[in-house]
Amino acid sequence: KKMASKIRVVLRPVKSIVVRFCPFESNVESTRKFLGCINHKKIQATNRNCEVTADVRHDGSEPLVDVMFADGERLIMKGANLTTVEMLTALGSRCNAKELKEEQKSKKSP
Amino acid sequence: PLPRVPALSAARVPLSAGWLPALQFVRRGSKAVTRHWKAMHFQRQKLMAVTEYLAPRPAVPPRCLARRRETLEEDNGYAQLLRRQVEEVFRDNRMIAVCQYNSMPGEDVVLMRHYLRKHNIEVKFVLNEIVRPVLSQSKYKNLLPLFVARNILLVSREAKAKEMLRVLKGVPQINLLGACIDDTILSKQGVENFAKLPLLETVQGQTVGALALLPSQTSSLLQRGPAHLTALLDQHIHRLQAGETGSPAEPAAAQSSGAH
Repeated sequence: KKMASKIRVVLRPVKSIVVRFCPFESNVESTRKFLGCINHKKIQATNRNCEVTADVRHDGSEPLVDVMFADGERLIMKGANLTTVEMLTALGSRCNAKELKEEQKSKKSP
Repeated sequence: PLPRVPALSAARVPLSAGWLPALQFVRRGSKAVTRHWKAMHFQRQKLMAVTEYLAPRPAVPPRCLARRRETLEEDNGYAQLLRRQVEEVFRDNRMIAVCQYNSMPGEDVVLMRHYLRKHNIEVKFVLNEIVRPVLSQSKYKNLLPLFVARNILLVSREAKAKEMLRVLKGVPQINLLGACIDDTILSKQGVENFAKLPLLETVQGQTVGALALLPSQTSSLLQRGPAHLTALLDQHIHRLQAGETGSPAEPAAAQSSGAH
């Protein structure tokens, strides 16, 4: 079984992450754990410029993770029915894909 | 051991669960108790095979039956101590703020603790599994959904919300989730509003002023008649005194003052 804290995500192509949740709801556990994992030393070390903001509301809205990439793409994850591991792997796979693309681009145009 | 010419004969041994070869050579003429493995007599083999141990199997496999509730007897003293501490915290302090703790470098934690200590606010790290049962039995049931993932408690005897918010703004990795101030559960927005409120003394002064406004108006209204009268009389006296220097009109002034 994958442990959520063991998943390593390279945040280089990410510009900012906004985690929005309402702590008095009952479906926020995975989103909160996701926030905790994202703030880990090693993941933060991959990109110091990435701003992680936590938006704590009380309006009964569902938990939301809004990731803004450096090339303008946006990833919105609604954490109400997702597990932490799923969210982390989704973000990780997208980051890796972007990294590969950038490497290829930099290789093509030296 | 005498050097005897071994007379070997092959004997069929039934394939047991091990990995013995199918044919085993039995040395005829060896004794009953040997140092090597000696094949049993065939009748003995049959007897052993028939009398092998069969483990008793329950009629219904245990996983089909309902699981017996394992009573939580693991109430070790440490957990009890922590629980007592949490109860104490909830009883003693006026303001209890619950924040989410994302891993912070150690020096930042110490700095933050230092700044909060200056305002008499203590930082307590809590374990969810200890806090949850304590809360569910006390009157703070609505704080239960807050205690998921890593949390810390900021407790204080005075409700210094403004300073706390200022310190927390400087620390991005701690997110305020909610607070319980004077037995009132507030959300983050509620805490911010609470911080914006003016001091209790100012509010009390304002209330007293507002309350005293109406009676002061009433008293001034009531006093208007007699005050007007006294002013008029004063003016009259002045005029009469001014007129006295010209012509004596005292009895007239005494009559007019006596009539009123």
